Amino acid sequence: MNLGTRKLLDQSFTALGIGSIVIMGMMLLVVLVPILTNGISANVFKGTIEHRRMQYNEFHRGDRDALQREISEAAATRKTAYDMMSTFEAELNQMDEVKQAEYRDKYNQVKDAVKSLLGPKPGDELPELTRFRYGQTRWEKAQERLREVLYEKKWDYSNPDIAAKEYLVSRAESFQGTSLVKLFPYVETNIDRMLLPKWTIYWGFIFDSSIDSHIFGGIWPEIQGTMFLAIGAMLFAFPLGVIAAIYFTEYAREGFFNSLLRSANSTLAGVPSIVFGLFGLAFFINTLKVSESKSVIAGSLTLAIMILPTIIRSAEEAILAVPKTYREASLGLGSTKWNTIVTVILPAALPGILTGGVISLGRAAGETAPIIFTAAVSVGSAIGLADVFNSPTPALSWNIYNLASEHEAASEIRHVQYGMVLALVTIVLLLNLTAIILRARISKKLKG
Amino acid sequence: MNGEDSVATGRSSAFVVTAKKRKIQQITRKIGESALFLVAATVAIIVIFIFFFVARDAVPFFEIRGFREFFTSSDWYPADDPPRFGAWAIIYGSLMVTAGSALIAVPMGIAAAICLSDVIPFSVRQYVKPVIEMLAAIPSVAFGFFALVILAPLLQNYGGPILMWTWWIIASPFLLLAVIVLSELVSMSIQDDKHRKIAQRMYVSFFGLIALILLFFVGNNLQKIEIMTGTNALNVSIILSFMALPTIVSVSEDALQAVGRDLREGSYALGATRAETIIKIILPAASSGILAAVILGIMRSLGETMVVWMASGNASHIPDPWFNYLESVRTLTATIAGDMGEADQVTGSARFHVLFAMGLLLLVISFISNFISERIVVRQRKILSGQ
Amino acid sequence: MQPSAEAIETKRDASSTQTTARDIYLPPERKQVSGGGETHVSAKNFSIYYGDFEAVKKVNADILSKYVTAIIGPSGCGKSTFLRAINRMNDLIPNCHTTGALMFDGEDVYGRFTDEVLLRKKIGMVFQKPNPFPKSIFDNIAYGPRLHGIRDRKTLEGIVEKSLRKAALWDEVSDRLDKNALGLSGGQQQRLCVARTLAVEPEILLLDEPTSALDPKATAKIEDLIQELRGSYTIMIVTHNMQQASRVSDYTMFFYEGVLVEHAPTAQLFTKPKDQMTEDYITGRFS
Ligand SMILES: Nc1ncnc2c1ncn2[C@@H]1O[C@H](COP(=O)(O)OP(=O)(O)OP(=O)(O)O)[C@@H](O)[C@H]1O
Ligand SMILES: [Mg+2]
Repeated sequence: MNLGTRKLLDQSFTALGIGSIVIMGMMLLVVLVPILTNGISANVFKGTIEHRRMQYNEFHRGDRDALQREISEAAATRKTAYDMMSTFEAELNQMDEVKQAEYRDKYNQVKDAVKSLLGPKPGDELPELTRFRYGQTRWEKAQERLREVLYEKKWDYSNPDIAAKEYLVSRAESFQGTSLVKLFPYVETNIDRMLLPKWTIYWGFIFDSSIDSHIFGGIWPEIQGTMFLAIGAMLFAFPLGVIAAIYFTEYAREGFFNSLLRSANSTLAGVPSIVFGLFGLAFFINTLKVSESKSVIAGSLTLAIMILPTIIRSAEEAILAVPKTYREASLGLGSTKWNTIVTVILPAALPGILTGGVISLGRAAGETAPIIFTAAVSVGSAIGLADVFNSPTPALSWNIYNLASEHEAASEIRHVQYGMVLALVTIVLLLNLTAIILRARISKKLKG
Repeated sequence: MNGEDSVATGRSSAFVVTAKKRKIQQITRKIGESALFLVAATVAIIVIFIFFFVARDAVPFFEIRGFREFFTSSDWYPADDPPRFGAWAIIYGSLMVTAGSALIAVPMGIAAAICLSDVIPFSVRQYVKPVIEMLAAIPSVAFGFFALVILAPLLQNYGGPILMWTWWIIASPFLLLAVIVLSELVSMSIQDDKHRKIAQRMYVSFFGLIALILLFFVGNNLQKIEIMTGTNALNVSIILSFMALPTIVSVSEDALQAVGRDLREGSYALGATRAETIIKIILPAASSGILAAVILGIMRSLGETMVVWMASGNASHIPDPWFNYLESVRTLTATIAGDMGEADQVTGSARFHVLFAMGLLLLVISFISNFISERIVVRQRKILSGQ
Repeated sequence: MQPSAEAIETKRDASSTQTTARDIYLPPERKQVSGGGETHVSAKNFSIYYGDFEAVKKVNADILSKYVTAIIGPSGCGKSTFLRAINRMNDLIPNCHTTGALMFDGEDVYGRFTDEVLLRKKIGMVFQKPNPFPKSIFDNIAYGPRLHGIRDRKTLEGIVEKSLRKAALWDEVSDRLDKNALGLSGGQQQRLCVARTLAVEPEILLLDEPTSALDPKATAKIEDLIQELRGSYTIMIVTHNMQQASRVSDYTMFFYEGVLVEHAPTAQLFTKPKDQMTEDYITGRFS
């Protein structure tokens, strides 16, 4: 091959490597950017009068008089719409059997759509579930509902080879010739005045507990549960891991037994996280009976054994990175071994040990599989510190799964799911950032 | 005793202590060391306990149902009466997404590791490392959410075009390179300079045409594909590959770094280009470490739960044809996570124990691969240190 | 091989003023120290092994108190090993063991009832590379005294000042005692290490190539310091620099492949070596 081609090959090789790295960076962005933008929308959004009404009723927030004024303002606009509907209902009752059957069904769809948009009609009985007591609290959701009021969704099955296609039919057309026709343009033009959207910053999303399984309210129980679990895991794993690392680096003699212990450590690091969950269930709950059933303590213990190998490894590395000369200097001054470890080696290794600890804390906060069987429940309020020994807790990681995959209105509460993901990712990345900064400071210190 | 005690006399021999004191010193030291040892040994105890307790709940399943059905049948109807526990399709699903993610992550990971250790200047590397660390730190459930809520609808709605564009972007540079190298190789035998140039140009246009036809043909066919469901093996493989990448990159990079400077400089001094040095000298020297990295990365994919649970579709069947990554699959981890809620723990039915059997299977696989990768790393270290 | 204290007082004798290769090693005039000259450390058939490898072979030697003894020899001959054996720093090396006897003040250093921690307090050591702790200058010096139970700030301040003065460092650092010791220059760091060792009031000072990481100016300071300390402490210094050995020491030990070939007053060893090997080494015929 001539030199030109060799150079070309060389450069394409470089390009391949750089390309891979760029793709990794892009992947990070592709994952983080939508989580960030959509997650923020859980806190900052255009809230409707329904949101303010809900906040006042459920959380006692807001100015009563101003709210009253807004409600009556909206009610005035809404009344016209309700009047149109009553007029049509009267008209419907006058129709002959065939026509009535045709329109009754369609009208009920409209009625449901309007109810979901604006909430129950004044004077109606208050529904049992909180989610049905209010109209749309978020403006973008209200607009989706508005489309449902205006259009009927239909499916096109004509081509059997491909998946069915959805198309829209205007309801105004299907009610042509009845008095209800006027309703649709009226709602469309006056939707602003019916719902009075306003930019809202809802910090309560972080600090409120949830209402009616996350249809309304915030995610504090999850955040708190995650913190309890992660910190609990650290309380067990950190001292254990650091002491084990001291043993491995300072006391263990080379030999069969020691290499066995090391193998055990890397085996533990390789165990799939779901198996930790099984073990936690079989051992901590079913055998040791640390609690009746799922509990924070059982989850913390399970997470603790999961992060133990990481803590041991990073602590070992940090201790081994302490120059041998410190050890010699200290011993040469007449210090005992243990004293040397406590007064010289551990302080010098501390930033490195903490780095590993902080990263492990993030890992414990983010893991889901080990807590599924041991600690997590999908709904529940924030638990007190005294309850950690006997009650399970909601946790961010588990509830993200639960809300996204098993919640009956999963696609209605995407903003809550995004908000939770953002909260979790923020916690984990902040911890990792701390670790990166810690490490940067160590290397600066070592350089002098 | 007394005679020994009296040894400690005079100012200068202050470093000699009484026998009693020495004994106490030794005993305290022993006790302290044993206490430390006990703490360190908890790691081993935990590993033994994990094996024991998972196996303890797995054995009843095999006692009731035997081995054959579990490993050979793919009828998974644990809730039926009579229940059927054929896990082959589930095991296959695990293998499939693991293989898929490895297919993406291994070449990318090794390329990125080489790039990090040999190509990128140190100042840039400082900024790349945190990116990899952040990718490793993102919780699996966040990746799962991304796969379910963003990637799955994208694949379902724009699957064909996405596949086509991916093919175009990835294949065109490779094909271009292949065309140039191929025509160079074919025309190498021609001695005369002038003739060779002409022949080379002809070959380039000839191979180029073939390559273009290939590009368009495959691209067109890909575009026509309709993906029925976005929660499929492809989706999961892509996401898993990005979760395995950080492991592969950082462990391979360590292995590459362990190959010393002098080996590299020796090769450069002989006039080799960087790519040649890396491929012929460094990669072989670091190969076992890279293999260990690959094993660890694959284990990460195999053991991952949340992503596959949320985005694989959880359909317990073997895709048709067997390599069809556009169909839903179900994996061991997702089955354990998903079925535990319905399994009856109290009476300890086969339905409960089968999940532990799956856990035991995962545990054994992870143990073996871990063992292998550790052996490999130890061997490489020995070779590199010249023993 | 038992050099006597009297042999120390030497003058340049006329015969060696002629230009020979060893001219440069001629030691300066030295005074006898008061209250010293007793046997402080004595090795009897003392061997040190790394596993099966005998790194130091059957050494017999007496080190006299308050004098400076230099240890020279080619690389790998066991100088460091011997030096580190005296305060049992070799205990850190897993498979290192000794035979024979090493006495300090008439007691066996490797005896059953020896507390090596107390021993190291009596026998301080300064290493090849300056190794201050990543703490403040004050905390570095106070580390030893604190270990041995001194907590009172005033007492500690007194010890720190005294030690730094002895190590000729006080004037340079007295205004920044709370600064990180790693910010000092290499030479200052090494004197800090000497001061740190002096703070625990040892009787013997072991120096393993203390100047090999320093520039000539810092080296001169350390050498001056050794002159200052001579007479107060028994000092043993390993060095590759034969001029240094001749400048600072009263006695010199020459090791070759683990064997103590010659041990004599420095002036005598450098001018009239008894052994041919010593002669070859100091004239640079091998290294
Ligand atoms: N930890 C050890 N394990 C095994 N052998 C060792 C160890 N340390 C030193 N040795 C061996 O013991 C012999 C003496 O080593 P030592 O360090 O005492 O030499 P030295 O005279 O101080 O050399 P230098 O002038 O290079 O410092 C050498 O052959 C060396 O290889
Ligand atoms: Mg040495």
